[in-house]
Amino acid sequence: MPNPYEVWGGTMHNTDRNTLLSLGNKYRIYILFVAVFAFMSLFAPKFFNPFNLTTIMRSFCMNACVAIGFTIVLICGQLDLSIGTIITFAGVVGLGLKEQFGYWGSVPVAVVCGALIGLINGLLVAKGKISSFIVTLGTMTILQGAIYQFTGGNSVSLSSEDAFAVSDFLSKQLFPLITPRVLITLFLAVMGEIFLKKTRVGRNFYLVGGNKNSAWLAGINTDNYTIFAFVLSGTMAALGGVLFAMESSAATLKLGEQSLMYVLSATIIGGTSTAGGKGGIMKSVIAILTLEMLYTGIILFGLGNEVKIFIAGLILALVVLYEAFAQYRHEKTIGRKPSLMKGAGTKA
Amino acid sequence: MKAAATTMEEKSNEQDLRSTQVSRFGKLVNAVGIYGIALLFIVLGIVLEVTGVIHGFMTIQNMMNIVDAVAILGMVAVGMAFVTYSGSFSDMSVPTTMALTGIIAIQMLQYGFWVAITSALGVGLIIGLINGLAIGKLRVNSMIWTLAMNYVTMGIIRLVWVNKQIYPDMTGASEQSIKMFDDIFRYKVFNAISLPVVVLALMVIAGQFIMSRTVFGAHLKLTGSSRRTAKFSGINVERIVTVAFVISAVAATIGGLTITSLGRVGAWYNGSGYDFKAVTAVVIGGMALSGGRGSIVGVLGGALVMGLMSNIMTLLGIGTFSQDMIRGAIFIIVVGINAKSLRSLGRDDA
Repeated sequence: MPNPYEVWGGTMHNTDRNTLLSLGNKYRIYILFVAVFAFMSLFAPKFFNPFNLTTIMRSFCMNACVAIGFTIVLICGQLDLSIGTIITFAGVVGLGLKEQFGYWGSVPVAVVCGALIGLINGLLVAKGKISSFIVTLGTMTILQGAIYQFTGGNSVSLSSEDAFAVSDFLSKQLFPLITPRVLITLFLAVMGEIFLKKTRVGRNFYLVGGNKNSAWLAGINTDNYTIFAFVLSGTMAALGGVLFAMESSAATLKLGEQSLMYVLSATIIGGTSTAGGKGGIMKSVIAILTLEMLYTGIILFGLGNEVKIFIAGLILALVVLYEAFAQYRHEKTIGRKPSLMKGAGTKA
Repeated sequence: MKAAATTMEEKSNEQDLRSTQVSRFGKLVNAVGIYGIALLFIVLGIVLEVTGVIHGFMTIQNMMNIVDAVAILGMVAVGMAFVTYSGSFSDMSVPTTMALTGIIAIQMLQYGFWVAITSALGVGLIIGLINGLAIGKLRVNSMIWTLAMNYVTMGIIRLVWVNKQIYPDMTGASEQSIKMFDDIFRYKVFNAISLPVVVLALMVIAGQFIMSRTVFGAHLKLTGSSRRTAKFSGINVERIVTVAFVISAVAATIGGLTITSLGRVGAWYNGSGYDFKAVTAVVIGGMALSGGRGSIVGVLGGALVMGLMSNIMTLLGIGTFSQDMIRGAIFIIVVGINAKSLRSLGRDDA
């Protein structure tokens, strides 16, 4: 929903930008990252050793890759619920077609599939003027059916020599903590961050998400940006899914089942607002890493997978609630004089 | 999302011209149109039966199957309709609400049937209240919040019952309460109409009455049409939205009890998929996703069409997963057409 006071919000935010609290809020994800890392290293058994840390880096890759595109969609003020199924779809397509075309053929097909799904989402949202929640809920259901149709309900796994070679290559340790897949993900994240912050096209995404009407009046083709955001989201989700499937030489039908929950909560923790116009890719990626450490820590403490799922859901709920509460407090002050708010702001 | 600003003025002119053109008759056609489509599906079924493509459509047993399937979906959809009507899209926490309340009921069955039902309804009420307070009061994005609630409830189920399914006869409940619990789905009123159908009928009548004849219904309509206007008119929108979510959760609880009674098992997967099915029924039934337009009677028609459609597709030998794909496509198309027709009438559709 577009907020008619977006401009007001912007100026008001500027006045108390320098208070310690707002600064802390702005960089909260880095603080959280350090805190979780320190806590887990100190208390969780067997957490701080190269093997475990490498495992964390490897398992963070898929969701981090997905988060890159998802963040852009969220910045654009939309939501993409279909990422989970795009991950699975790309995984099963990438591996399923490998026998016929080889990885050089099947992986591009999988990624292009993801991009096409994103394109359909984007077209329906931008040109069909349907709410993105609803469109992606629909595509999610369609894809769910398509995945089962494609696989017949069975997991896809490869056991040929060259598939294992690729798998070994992707999980080979280049430097401490860094495998090729981690490297690819980090490279994409850095490129995404530069694209979003330093190029005009990237910066326009913020404008489209922040206030669609003024973006349109400023001469930005908002429809095209929305479509582009969904295409990027689909592509990144597919890439994340297919890379993960290639490394493990197998794609289960539950590959991307929990990704939506993880990526959504991480992106919001990272400071990307669900209202659009705020956030950054690097923050989302760090947030994914933080959550991955947290969940690994939970398992290392000897708590089961059930606890992990419960806490993951709880974190998402709390984060959404916190964001809404901040917005609620902010909206209560709308219309009051910002100059008077300054003093009150520092005390509170 | 609002359309671009420059077209606004144009649009309001158009609205002045056209708003009178939607006659009372047009409204009636809108409301009963979905039953026409349901009738078309029945005719299609008969034609396919006569030409020998499918078998067993016109049997009493099959008709009963359709009605029973529609009953559970209808219950959930009637509740969901209130959420959609209030302008909050859909309640995604429905599947796990259904599962959790069913499990709670079976767990509490040892203390008697009515205690079980009451505690299930109580849990549903609490879930609805949490949803409603977060979305109504704090204005959380409804889809994201109910999705989060869905995960939390799923987490609770997985945490407490650790992937175990529970059966009524394993809880040490008395024979009579088990019998009564089984009867939730199987009892026949006057030996003819099954209880879920009666419950659904009561819910539809009550829902339609609340929506079109009470002050709350009028407030709900205004809240759904324009939350800002409603707020400035002195309507307590927070309370209205909260009540809408409570209604949805309680309706989901009733559906959950029925589906649990149907399967005689309480498990986390009960009710999965009902979020999407229900919102599809609501949308097909002519309710606008932007809120404030539609009726409960239409939603019942939507559920009927969904039931008929999936029955015919099953008889045609189309697999469940293909049905999912078809359902998803129909959902998007209907929403698209709805949005487009509302826009062409000069009414902005979110």
